[in-house]
Amino acid sequence: MSQSGFQHSWKMNRRAFMKGAALATAGKLIQAEGVAQTSEQPVGPTGASQAEVGRVPERPLGKTGINVSALGVGGYHLGTAKSQQETTEIVARALDAGVSFFDNAWEYHQGESETRLGNALQGKRDQAILMTKVCTHGRGKEVGLRMLEESLRRLKTDHLDIWQIHEVVYDNDPDLIFASGGVAEALLLAQQQGKVRFIGFTGHKDPAIHLRMLAHDFPFDTVQMPLNCFDATFRSFEAQVLPEVNRRGIAALGMKSLGGSGEMVTSGMITPEEGLRYAMSLPVATTISGMESLAVLSQNLEIARKFKPMEADEMDALRERCRAFAADGRYERFKTTKFYDGDLGRQQHGYPTAKELPF
Amino acid sequence: MPSIPVRNFGKHGDQISALGLGGHHLGNAEDEQTAVQIVHEAVDGGVTFFDNCWEYNRGKSENWMGKGLKGRRDRVFLMTKVCTHGRDASLATLMLEESLRRLQTDHLDLWQIHGVCFDNDPELFIRPKGAAEALELAKQQGKVRYVGFSGHKDPAIHLKMLATGFPFDAVQMPLNAFDATFHSFETQVLPELNRRGIAALGMKPFSGQGAPLQNGLLTPDEALRYAMSLPVVTTITGMDKIDVLHQNLQIAQNFRPMTPEEMEVLRQRCRPVAADGRFEHYKGSLQFDNPEARLAHGFPLDAQQMEVKEMLKESENTGRPYPEMKS
Repeated sequence: MSQSGFQHSWKMNRRAFMKGAALATAGKLIQAEGVAQTSEQPVGPTGASQAEVGRVPERPLGKTGINVSALGVGGYHLGTAKSQQETTEIVARALDAGVSFFDNAWEYHQGESETRLGNALQGKRDQAILMTKVCTHGRGKEVGLRMLEESLRRLKTDHLDIWQIHEVVYDNDPDLIFASGGVAEALLLAQQQGKVRFIGFTGHKDPAIHLRMLAHDFPFDTVQMPLNCFDATFRSFEAQVLPEVNRRGIAALGMKSLGGSGEMVTSGMITPEEGLRYAMSLPVATTISGMESLAVLSQNLEIARKFKPMEADEMDALRERCRAFAADGRYERFKTTKFYDGDLGRQQHGYPTAKELPF
Repeated sequence: MPSIPVRNFGKHGDQISALGLGGHHLGNAEDEQTAVQIVHEAVDGGVTFFDNCWEYNRGKSENWMGKGLKGRRDRVFLMTKVCTHGRDASLATLMLEESLRRLQTDHLDLWQIHGVCFDNDPELFIRPKGAAEALELAKQQGKVRYVGFSGHKDPAIHLKMLATGFPFDAVQMPLNAFDATFHSFETQVLPELNRRGIAALGMKPFSGQGAPLQNGLLTPDEALRYAMSLPVVTTITGMDKIDVLHQNLQIAQNFRPMTPEEMEVLRQRCRPVAADGRFEHYKGSLQFDNPEARLAHGFPLDAQQMEVKEMLKESENTGRPYPEMKS
């Protein structure tokens, strides 16, 4: 097998993909109708016209009666920032710009993300809509409640605004969560005790698993999911889960607007503005974005401050541009591989660690 | 000596042994001499179905099988697979010539599309200039008798391949007591193949790397008998050691199908740990997806994978476009 044979076929293949992308725009009308329907949802984006000039717009958080900023700060990357000082600065500047939504999880960086956010929110807790997640990964309510106490301590607060079940990504997670003594009971108990105001779940794997969670008719206030212009045509949360969440009046929280670690941008497929604006133009309460440096924060704040929702045909054009490369999931590996599945969840489900099974 | 049962190859008259020898593990044998001995003893023990693939161990698997089958080619039903992974028919044809050369034969009994694992593989296969055209051409030219495809990922992708309408003679898939209750090929794909008269080829009776055996969940006898009791033509399993071959030959030579009740008991025993896929990593991880597939689809390579190490060593690959790599 000659090297040139491979090179040739590689290039041919890329051309074929591009050609496929061009041909795919034939389906435009159907896509546009789909968008028109979703944009009529009551929790649709409010747009810049209703937002205070220069501030990040706010939107209702489902039926909860509170508003949240349309851009949220992702908690994982707060632990990746180079120091507590930088994290504190990121949080302060985000709050100043009108970002109220703060995401986190008990297991991010073994607690470092929560600890840092707790420090950064000292004296500013009231300005924030604070969410963290519980990492039982199939274990019961007792484990969940202990994690809640630890999260509250690290976050230096007596209550959470939102408490979600983290990483619902294994096929049997819904069964384990709703089993007798499962973590669903911890959510209700914590809510009754006033330790958390609203409850939800998150996962990055499979729309079918999200739908199985919803089928339990549990009183979730929020549901978090990957939403981006690649997801739109590949194992799509946008197409399968978002309409159901809106129908139920549950607040949709988007994540991975640029692929989780910016893969969609670094590969040159889309600009940050295209990716973030697309995600924010969907009928979601907020789009959670990981921002590990002030530079990334500034970039995202600028996009969010001047945010105007994309027109339906603009969204359609972006979806179609990405379609051929979305089709094998190369930019959404969190859906099809072990890449992105945390070690704690793997351990509870009998999987090798990320080091032993890197993908 | 009792012999391994034989079964009809789908709608065709060919008789195939119910146990098949997997090509990947043959390339993992200690040395060429051991691999040749495994092939000889397998043929003598009644194995007629031989599996292989262009990309296994960067050609070593095909080379060693070719050496082992020298003078025995007529006694076996020889299959190998082509690794276009969405790329063009012209590349597939080049791979076929190389496979025939390595296997020291002028024809294959079965030539299959390897690693149909990505959601868009069916569209890429059937597109103009896609690999489907190479399968047709090779059949016309008499270089292959039958054609098929293989994949370990998702029953939905297999069904999409069948929906292309291409006239496949055979389809290969993971079939074991865990699959039965998790993203199941047994319940979603196997009945459709049987309905269409396509030869069903089972693989991964021990879940690919034998983890359930090491965990004591199943005995080799239970695992292999379960897979062989399904309505398949053959069950392909990797045997990199003479001991493993002997063990499997003994099970196959004494094979009696499990009763439906026995099968149900085994499924139920596996169900709790089957439910999250922990014993079927090939369905939810890139680990089992070969480097050629990852290259063709723009996925990162795994530097720990043997094929990747060998790829990097081989000068013929210098300058190929390697995407992101995790070390």
